[in-house]
Amino acid sequence: MWKRKGNIWPRYARATEDTLQIANSLIEAYKNQVGEKKSVLKAFAGELEDEGYEYRFVRGLACLLDRKGTFKCNDKINPVELRRRVFQATEKFGLATTTERRNRIVETVSSELKITPQAVDEFLYADLDSELVFEKFEPPTTDELLKEYNLSLTQTLLFDSTELNFTASGNWQKIFYAVKRLGLIYEVYKDGGFWVKIDGPASLFKLTRRYGTATAKLLPIIIASPEWTVEAKILWRYTNEICSFKIESWKHRSMLKSPQQPTVSYDSIVEQDFAGQFEGLRTGWQLKREPEPVPVGKQVIIPDFSLEKEGVKVYMEIVGFWTLEYLLHKMEKLKKIDANTLVAVNENLACEKLADLQKNAQINIIYYRDKIPLAPVLRYLEGAFQSVQATQTGFLKNLPVIFTEAVVNYEEFAARIGVSTEAVKVALTEKPPEGYTVMPSGLVRKDKLEQIRKEIEEQLSRTGRLPLPDAIRIIETEGVSDATKSLETLGYKIVWRGINAEKAEVTKP
Amino acid sequence: MIRLWFDKGTILLRGEVGTPYGKWDPRVECYRIKALHYWDVLAYLKESKLAFQDDVPNLPPVQQLNSTVELRPYQKEALDRWRHANMRGILVLPTAAGKTYVALKAISLLKTQTFIVVPTLDLIDQWRKRVAEYLNTEAGAVGGGENTVKMITVSTYDSAYLQAETLGNKFMLIVFDEVHHLASPSYMQIAEMYIAPYRMGLTATYERSDERHSLLPPLVGDPVYTVGVEELAGEHLSPYTYEKIFVELTPEEQRAYDDEMATFRLYLREKGITLRSAEDFQKFIMATGRDHRAREALLARNRALKIALNSDAKLRLLARQLEANSNEKTLIFTLHNDLVYTISRKFLIPAITYQTPKEERREILDDFRKGEYKAIVTSQVLDEGIDVPDASAGYIMSGTGSTREYIQRLGRILRKVEGKKAKLVEIVSKETVEVGISRRRRHKKSKEE
Repeated sequence: MWKRKGNIWPRYARATEDTLQIANSLIEAYKNQVGEKKSVLKAFAGELEDEGYEYRFVRGLACLLDRKGTFKCNDKINPVELRRRVFQATEKFGLATTTERRNRIVETVSSELKITPQAVDEFLYADLDSELVFEKFEPPTTDELLKEYNLSLTQTLLFDSTELNFTASGNWQKIFYAVKRLGLIYEVYKDGGFWVKIDGPASLFKLTRRYGTATAKLLPIIIASPEWTVEAKILWRYTNEICSFKIESWKHRSMLKSPQQPTVSYDSIVEQDFAGQFEGLRTGWQLKREPEPVPVGKQVIIPDFSLEKEGVKVYMEIVGFWTLEYLLHKMEKLKKIDANTLVAVNENLACEKLADLQKNAQINIIYYRDKIPLAPVLRYLEGAFQSVQATQTGFLKNLPVIFTEAVVNYEEFAARIGVSTEAVKVALTEKPPEGYTVMPSGLVRKDKLEQIRKEIEEQLSRTGRLPLPDAIRIIETEGVSDATKSLETLGYKIVWRGINAEKAEVTKP
Repeated sequence: MIRLWFDKGTILLRGEVGTPYGKWDPRVECYRIKALHYWDVLAYLKESKLAFQDDVPNLPPVQQLNSTVELRPYQKEALDRWRHANMRGILVLPTAAGKTYVALKAISLLKTQTFIVVPTLDLIDQWRKRVAEYLNTEAGAVGGGENTVKMITVSTYDSAYLQAETLGNKFMLIVFDEVHHLASPSYMQIAEMYIAPYRMGLTATYERSDERHSLLPPLVGDPVYTVGVEELAGEHLSPYTYEKIFVELTPEEQRAYDDEMATFRLYLREKGITLRSAEDFQKFIMATGRDHRAREALLARNRALKIALNSDAKLRLLARQLEANSNEKTLIFTLHNDLVYTISRKFLIPAITYQTPKEERREILDDFRKGEYKAIVTSQVLDEGIDVPDASAGYIMSGTGSTREYIQRLGRILRKVEGKKAKLVEIVSKETVEVGISRRRRHKKSKEE
């Protein structure tokens, strides 16, 4: 472990020449020693340690390699039975305090079992750990081995953790299922995106490492998601200091073994079909599977999908099998989400009359049989988008903004205050602020236009003519992007000679 | 309505009332209380005359107990003191003084769901046998692959710790055998995460060198009864003799020993390190993680120590001793497993280590008790608790400097049998660091390393 200024991180193995060489020679040694006793394998690792390599690294790799094969007891003779006979013979002849007596005991047993006296000595403790024989080795690649080592280093560090905070781009169902199974407690909070804090019941009373082991077991499930950030508080056992630990997918993913390839998984064919078809349409809506945990009171809902466009977000749930009671309960929960939510319900599996549902529903439902129809989904999305936009437009119209910039770009402005560009356009063109002219990509202050007019006039009076490219240069130098529209607004004409803009000229009306 | 229920080793309280024992948990919007304070919370609610629903305990059914336990006078007194202390407290009795019987009697009086926590798997077996024999009921077991919960259930400390979330609300009485183990930071959570209002701690060696035993009273109760070996020797324990025999390393061993120690001492001298206390040593061990030479020095010292502890000369002496005392029931103790197997192979006697299969270990101990085996060699696993009533000779081939270990090993041969005279022999390599280790372990009042 490295520790500095309250931060801590494991000594990850990187693919340097040295580490690759050690990993390689260990893998090779294990390959060559299939059929040998465990003590022989350990002796080789011991030699590498003695050669001055970082002993914890060597030992760690060896420990992982041990698990890639099995250690089996020699099955020719049952050592427990052999020992029983030997010790019973000892009782008969007396403790083997002399060579002569020892030989007599061994010979008695060897003739009883019809094996050689040497075999008695050889198999007496054949079931001890160090005597077990290595077999069925499935060698990993060097890269796999190092990644696995790094993962286990990270998990070892987390054994001493008192809390974990993370965010991920997917795999949420599995993550929350594991959190529950492991007896941990979660809290979801917003810090940019949604974050989850993990600790356990007794964490309330004092800092405790009790949940460290469970937390370490959670890690592989978090990092199976495509993107993640994981932060932990480590109670460092030697000094009892609290240290911070942080790993991020963009930086660490390639170093850590992930139990599965980061792919999106679906609960059903229906979901998978829907995602495939929707994405095939290129609607401008971005689809995400299990996008985030959405807090509802003290509970959490993980929507099946989110659909997002220009800051407008819609959650979508797909309900396959249901009872009315289940569905109503689900609706109750979904209603509390502070966002647009759409539920697709399978009418084939209807367990109660749909009419009942329709009556009780206070949420947007579409029905499907085998496949989710895209048209109603898109209709709903557009409706949601427009209504969000209308709300935003109304909001913007009443917004007491006083612009000071000479040029206001719609897109930049929309992004700055967090509404859609379309809403900004609508609001600002319907009722442009005093002193500004509406242009296709933004507002331009009138004195800015006058400034441009002055420069164009100067150029015209100096040379008598103004090629279009020069005019554009003048306008863009002033920070305005809608050049032709500006010329039009100022009353200039563009005379084209062919389609080449180079040859076009700007003239007075 | 106020409601209390058990949640993973803690108690949750929902209702219009707080409690001085709990803390508001914003994560679940309830008061959360340590299971340890279960009884206090009940008392608080009752005193306040509040109606409440208690869903905390989830007790296994009560079984019929038929107690045949007879207590000796000092055992009776110990039990009385415990009962007068609201059925909480620690009893300090020497090994072989029959602590188990005091606990069994307590169980038979309370007739309630009882959890017995012990340090080793052997002790699970032993307690279950005792329960069957003296209370005429079958006890459940948690640990070592078994997981059956009954009115009386025996568990290892490890399993009790790991399964506190699910077992914490199943018992009203909890007995901590060898209670000094409970003072370790993780095991202390056992005491915190179980609701049992009645608690009994048993030990022969209450005090710990790290002073952590002072943390036990709030968790188990105060030490309410203490009696020493001297007060019971003769009448209730066997009389015993003690002998320390020095052996000389063989010339080759001596040379190797001197070389290794020189490497070690050179490093200490160069770095100006002195190793006086356990803390000094801890610091040195930590340095070996960073400094390659420190690790070399540590390894050299360990090799030297191993030479001293495992010297051939000791084996030769042991052979002579065994030959001369061939009728004694003998236990041979070592520090390392290697030496256990060397001795087992050399004299062809049964060995018990943590690697011995459970069935075989049971069989060896049974046969030893029955007298079918006369000698067993073991590392540290038999130090605690296991009864071998008529073992009369003990050989300490090697050990740590711990007084506790020494007392426990001695205890293995002290159980009272009419006419038995026990003898304990320590074999020590002359002019090595082992001399100091041996002195420390027998030094009165010196505590553990």
